[in-house]
Amino acid sequence: MEGLEGKPGQFTAKVFQEPRYINEDLCTACGMCTMYCPRPVVDTYNERLEITRAPHIDYAQAIPSSYYIDAKACLRVNFETCNLCAQTCTAGAIDFSQKPKRLELEVGAVVLTPGFGRVDAAVLEKYGYGKYPDVVTAFEFERLTCASGPTEGHIVRPSDNKTPKKIAFLQCIGSRDETCGNGYCSSVCCMYAIKEASVAKEHEPDLDVSIFFMDVRTMGKGFDEARRRAQEKYGINVIRARVPRVDQVDGRLALTWTSDDGNHHSGIFDMVVLSVGLESPEDAQILSEIADIELNHYNFCSTRVDAPLSTSRDGVFVAGAFQGPKDIPESVTQASGVAAIASELLAEARNSKTVSITYPEENKALEEQEPRIGIFVCHCGVNIAGVVDVKAVRDYAASLPGVVLYEDPLYSCSQDALKSIAEKIKKNNLNRVVIAACSPRTHEPLFQETLRSVGLNPALVEMANIRDQCAWVHAQEPDAATEKAKDLVRMAAAKARLLTPLEQPTVDVTPGALVLGGGAAGMSAALSIAEQGYNVVLVEKSSQLGGNLRRLTWTLDGENAKAVLKELISRVDAHPGIEVITDSTVESISGYVGNFTSTIATGKKTRLVNHGVTVIATGAREYKPKSYGYGESPRIVTQLELEEKLARGKSFLKNARNIVMIQCVGSRGDDMSHCSRLCCTQAVKNALKLKELKPDCNIYIFYRDMRTYGFYEDAYREARRKGIVFLRYSPDKRPEVVKQSRGIKVRAFDRLLGEDIEIPANLVVLSAGIAPGDNQELSKILKAPLTSDGFFLEAHAKLRPVEIAVDGVYLCGLAHGPKSLEESVAQAKAAAAKATIPLAKGKVAVAPIVSRVDQDACIGCGICESLCPFNAIRLSKVGKRKKAQTITASCKGCGICASHCPTLAISMGGFTDEAIMAQIHAFSGQECSEG
Amino acid sequence: MAKSGSIMVLGGGVAGVQAALDLADLGYYVYLVEKKASIGGVMAQLDKTFPTNDCSL
Amino acid sequence: MAKENAVEKEKEMTQEGFDPKILGFFCHWCCYAAADSAGVSRYQYPPNVRVIRVMCTGRIDARFVVEAFRCGADGVFTGG
Repeated sequence: MEGLEGKPGQFTAKVFQEPRYINEDLCTACGMCTMYCPRPVVDTYNERLEITRAPHIDYAQAIPSSYYIDAKACLRVNFETCNLCAQTCTAGAIDFSQKPKRLELEVGAVVLTPGFGRVDAAVLEKYGYGKYPDVVTAFEFERLTCASGPTEGHIVRPSDNKTPKKIAFLQCIGSRDETCGNGYCSSVCCMYAIKEASVAKEHEPDLDVSIFFMDVRTMGKGFDEARRRAQEKYGINVIRARVPRVDQVDGRLALTWTSDDGNHHSGIFDMVVLSVGLESPEDAQILSEIADIELNHYNFCSTRVDAPLSTSRDGVFVAGAFQGPKDIPESVTQASGVAAIASELLAEARNSKTVSITYPEENKALEEQEPRIGIFVCHCGVNIAGVVDVKAVRDYAASLPGVVLYEDPLYSCSQDALKSIAEKIKKNNLNRVVIAACSPRTHEPLFQETLRSVGLNPALVEMANIRDQCAWVHAQEPDAATEKAKDLVRMAAAKARLLTPLEQPTVDVTPGALVLGGGAAGMSAALSIAEQGYNVVLVEKSSQLGGNLRRLTWTLDGENAKAVLKELISRVDAHPGIEVITDSTVESISGYVGNFTSTIATGKKTRLVNHGVTVIATGAREYKPKSYGYGESPRIVTQLELEEKLARGKSFLKNARNIVMIQCVGSRGDDMSHCSRLCCTQAVKNALKLKELKPDCNIYIFYRDMRTYGFYEDAYREARRKGIVFLRYSPDKRPEVVKQSRGIKVRAFDRLLGEDIEIPANLVVLSAGIAPGDNQELSKILKAPLTSDGFFLEAHAKLRPVEIAVDGVYLCGLAHGPKSLEESVAQAKAAAAKATIPLAKGKVAVAPIVSRVDQDACIGCGICESLCPFNAIRLSKVGKRKKAQTITASCKGCGICASHCPTLAISMGGFTDEAIMAQIHAFSGQECSEG
Repeated sequence: MAKSGSIMVLGGGVAGVQAALDLADLGYYVYLVEKKASIGGVMAQLDKTFPTNDCSL
Repeated sequence: MAKENAVEKEKEMTQEGFDPKILGFFCHWCCYAAADSAGVSRYQYPPNVRVIRVMCTGRIDARFVVEAFRCGADGVFTGG
């Protein structure tokens, strides 16, 4: 981007586009150009560990799946010589006449997702990087462990290509380090180090792996549990120490460190992996000038706690690591959230710029005729034809029953070939098509489009995968590969004969949402859906909105939590699209995505609400401590109780000399197994507040790992600077709270002294964790699974972090797991985006591969209903008897019902019993249908 | 003048791609602008992902 | 299958150079995808498997397996 002018709703963005020098529409990704190019360049995708050529593709699955020419290296571009690639490209895709383009885009909003930058190499030098070849970054190590990486997944030392025996991971390289300007915690390195260590141990079980942590910060949902498993399963050594430098001794690497008992240690390793942190993007400064947005003191995008996805410029939004270091699930969540916010801004212009495609009407008469099959056996350049005898396969296809056309296009997926296939379907009145080429996973939609474009049902094409699963994997056995290709084509043709047109079912959507829970998450989600133009019913259990936010006075960043709360509530109250029902719970929910009906109970009264989607934002609660003398003295309180006291003034601190805080009360195996994520920052926040109100008091914080991730690390450093004492304890030696006649003492083991100490405490503050709400009942009502910790389980931690296994139900806030206000708001926006998608479309499309029940054959046994993982098949009364019925909107087409139906009453779209049987018979190659 | 129904997403990493997909699903035309020759960002370079160690591509 | 055939088959299977016919049922979402990636990475494996793609291994009816053996398969591979 070179410029951004205008105002929210009407921006003009100037974009500079570099030429690829390879035409994307013509390139078939065969790789010939790379093979012939004389110009080597380092492969940045493989972290410079390998060499590629000027024309290349970053990786096999890259999108666009076309090659491009590295203009800096290319001889033709720079010196007008060579041109070899253009001569070898059989598709004629190489085009050196391409010029850089300047585009002006009219857009209503801008979303910034530039990601993160790399820590400067100078920072790594002090750890021997660049000097000792066996010191590598974690990014490089990632490529070494990857099966498609430069070493095919063999872990070797760069110096001698030998397998290392001892590896050390050094954490916090370029993070939590003021000397390099990065005072923040990068929030992801602890996890990736554990992952890389685990993968390394899987590759080389005898490997000795040590990870040097300052604190182990696995605070994400389920992360602590995963860390524990990894430590047990792979025997990874966890060492809590910061290694100051790396030296080379006799070709190996020497580390020295000091543990927190004050002892010095040293060790020799074969390889050292630097767990480098995430920096702000290299061009953050330039971007901030062009987009006119503010950065924070670390050059990340500056945002507010209650609007974490908005930059300082209206209409310009941010998501992902540029907003602050974060992992994949959080980036994905923010990305969905930012979509909701942009959609709120531009709701009136929805669908004004989208493009729709029209198709000719289906030729039903032709589809019903005897199968007239056309078979296209693709060369895919040399990819298939270089191994498989394509012409022989084509001629063999001619002998199969029902085949009226057989051809062998050079690249069947190229635009011109698709056009020619469409013409041939028409000319020859084909009503079934077999494409013997690559994988249906990637290319079936393309050929289905071709069928639709000539009035055939898209379900009437079948693919035989003779590239990915034949030519490519049997490159040394051309004869056997050719035989296999013939078999696969025969099986595909057998199935094609039995293919039937499938309807594309759609279900109308009730244009409204039900949001359960009126805390920060629930209110944010409701507001976003309503701003996007849909009605919301917001159900709150208690008598007022606000949830846990009511108990906060300051946010973790020290902002005014009460003001945030007040604004949210007034916006919700004022919004005409939101109806708030307090003192109410949901009694039952029936239906499916697009059409839910819920019973809401208010006292003894109930009412029905129809809605298209459901958002769970039911929150969680502060854990009620069962130990440390909680409840036995008014001087033993939780962090939230302390915060409430602080909000009322400092008079209770009058005689306070010593204040002790104990972390992980209830969390991390104390009672609940999960980490509550927030308590460390909350403790630091309150400790700083105490220091501010009463500077002469002593504050001691007993902790296991300080998990002040991201920018919260600043507060932790400040707390240390202000003299707050941090003492680490291990779970087998927890501090004890001892009540005496004249007061309270905290007894604990001091690691540095090596003995027990006693601190007389005027106030003991327990950092009680976050316990799940009473989710059991709602979980049953919604058939929404819970985690072992009692929080709601998302459909996929990374790909679908705010959806659950049941379609049309979305999840956000503390109901999903412990998280900060800022994170709850972002997640609520994400849930709102996902929930609004079906509302905005107005219809839910269902994949046509769903099950269908033959009502005459069904005996109503209910096996299918009990086995369906998606609640997508149900028994209902038809006349006098019960019959199974598919809820097409929920069906995923897995076919478990069909394979278990005792009367074979269930058939699967595109995968009927008859079709699969025909494939099995065709597999045998001879007649065996008797019996 | 009316608001535009198009949105530009700057950066084609996992966040940018997800934002673009959701925006398109919500009924907006999206320009996804990426500096490199392919989208996917750093995530495409990862072998596996914590904590389930499933493939990240 | 006739008894002699079974004996014959057993003999064949214990011989060296046995070239089995294997029918694979691959789940669209995982095993089939993995087989594709094997191709993308150019991993080489023996050309004995013929693949039927299903949307889930839950689709595989026991009858399919029996039928495959009846039709002369030496092995059935289910991947999901």
